[in-house]
Amino acid sequence: MSLKKQDDMDHNAWLKSQDLTAIETAFLTTLIWLDKRLRIVDYLELLETMYYRANLQMPKSHTEQYDLDNKFWYWYPLYSLGSLSIIAYLLAAVSGALLGFYYAPSTAGAAAQGDPTAAYDSMVMIMTDVQFGFMLRAIHRWAAQFMVAAVFLHMLRVYFTGAYKEPREVNWILGVVLIALTLLFGFSGYVLPWKQLSFWAAQIGGELALATPIVGEWAAQLLFGGFTLGQATLVRMYILHVFVLPFVVTALIAVHVGIVWVQGIAEPH
Amino acid sequence: MTDDTTPMTDGGTDDEARTDGGPPATVPPDDETPTWSERKERSQGLAQLTYQYFERSRREDEDLRAESTYVERDVLGFPTWPHETIRNLAITSFFLGIMLLVASILPGHFGDPANPGSTPAIILPDWYLYWSFGLLKLSPINPELAVLGGNIVMSNELYGLVAHGAIFGVITLVPFLNKGNARRPVEEPGWAALGMTGVVLAITLAVLAIQNFFPVPLELLFSLVFMLPVVAGIITYAVLKTMREGYMYDLNRRYFMLRPPK
Repeated sequence: MSLKKQDDMDHNAWLKSQDLTAIETAFLTTLIWLDKRLRIVDYLELLETMYYRANLQMPKSHTEQYDLDNKFWYWYPLYSLGSLSIIAYLLAAVSGALLGFYYAPSTAGAAAQGDPTAAYDSMVMIMTDVQFGFMLRAIHRWAAQFMVAAVFLHMLRVYFTGAYKEPREVNWILGVVLIALTLLFGFSGYVLPWKQLSFWAAQIGGELALATPIVGEWAAQLLFGGFTLGQATLVRMYILHVFVLPFVVTALIAVHVGIVWVQGIAEPH
Repeated sequence: MTDDTTPMTDGGTDDEARTDGGPPATVPPDDETPTWSERKERSQGLAQLTYQYFERSRREDEDLRAESTYVERDVLGFPTWPHETIRNLAITSFFLGIMLLVASILPGHFGDPANPGSTPAIILPDWYLYWSFGLLKLSPINPELAVLGGNIVMSNELYGLVAHGAIFGVITLVPFLNKGNARRPVEEPGWAALGMTGVVLAITLAVLAIQNFFPVPLELLFSLVFMLPVVAGIITYAVLKTMREGYMYDLNRRYFMLRPPK
């Protein structure tokens, strides 16, 4: 037995026996070299499977089977509301990340009551000094409005077409949670500019939290940073808006869409 | 375990002198994955019940598939690429364009800085929270108990919170109360009427929240807030019932045209 390493699949010999063009030889040599080190072939198989999956022919749908196409397409815009809210959410995320470069969550800088704070000043700076800043803020604001509107209309569509029925109860409940979180998203964003309306909206929110039996004081501390509004409130709303809610809402949206994918769209009869 | 025939790694047979830990305590039966029934036999308690259910549900699936008359076809529908993808891209870019357009022509008002010392005459959240703000203005109907000498049981804020809880609770319960295959509002006029009541209630509550802008006496506004949703529900019910009669009339007419009575 020789000590020389035996290759049971001599790919190079096979390569030489083939009659290949220069391009083919280069491609195969690279492929073999990479495959020996990284086992690409396995991944190529996966890719191939995914390619065929992406081009899957959908089974004949209810609408096609009963020739409801004209009715269904008439109502189609109502069936795209869920994805519209996701698009608005993504737009708000992108514009919000850009706004985050300039915004400062601080109530410092007000010499007397009613003077502009650092947060307010940073908003004014965004709207007057930053290139494209005025538009950026408008985009963020309107993306939020569109998202909330789309989410509300999406719930109405699901309700009136009975799409929440068995076996889709879990997704309906998830949707209710997502609407509540979207409203909380909007509320926390409303507080951030620390305008007069922001402040008094937060004031009402704080009073509500405090009015809750048993957990009231704890909730007011946790969400609003105390019983009087100030720096702590603003920072908590800021962290809620840019850190906590984005992760939670994104994850829940993924689960929500995942369940729709698994269960299929409830089509109208 | 202490099997004399098991050779030790050094070839000895004296168990007292064994230092290699002996043969493995459990031997995997083979390299096949055990079936559900095998797992069921090996397990107990909740795990066993789980496996029993798995077996049942798989059998149910198999039975359903065997009974099914569904025939797979070669080309059954819309391909994901390019049809579905192009359509989705078109919808997405249209919607993005609308948002950018609205943002550019209505950038939004920016108010005065916060002043904890002076309460503004009108406090309002964004429009989508008007209904919630309206629920906080229900203090005139916060019940007073004669037993407590006309004192309210809950603070007005708590009353508003409870109203929120009730609304979210009702919405959450909907799929557990309404089951079945009906998908169109005409099939279930009652549920559609309930939905319209909810929609109109949200709108009237929003109006209650911005009552300052409506030159209507508060008493009347309060009555309207709760009357209008009910009226809307009744109208919806009546309209859907009528539509259903119409459908039935159409079906009956077609039936009698096909098979005229002798």
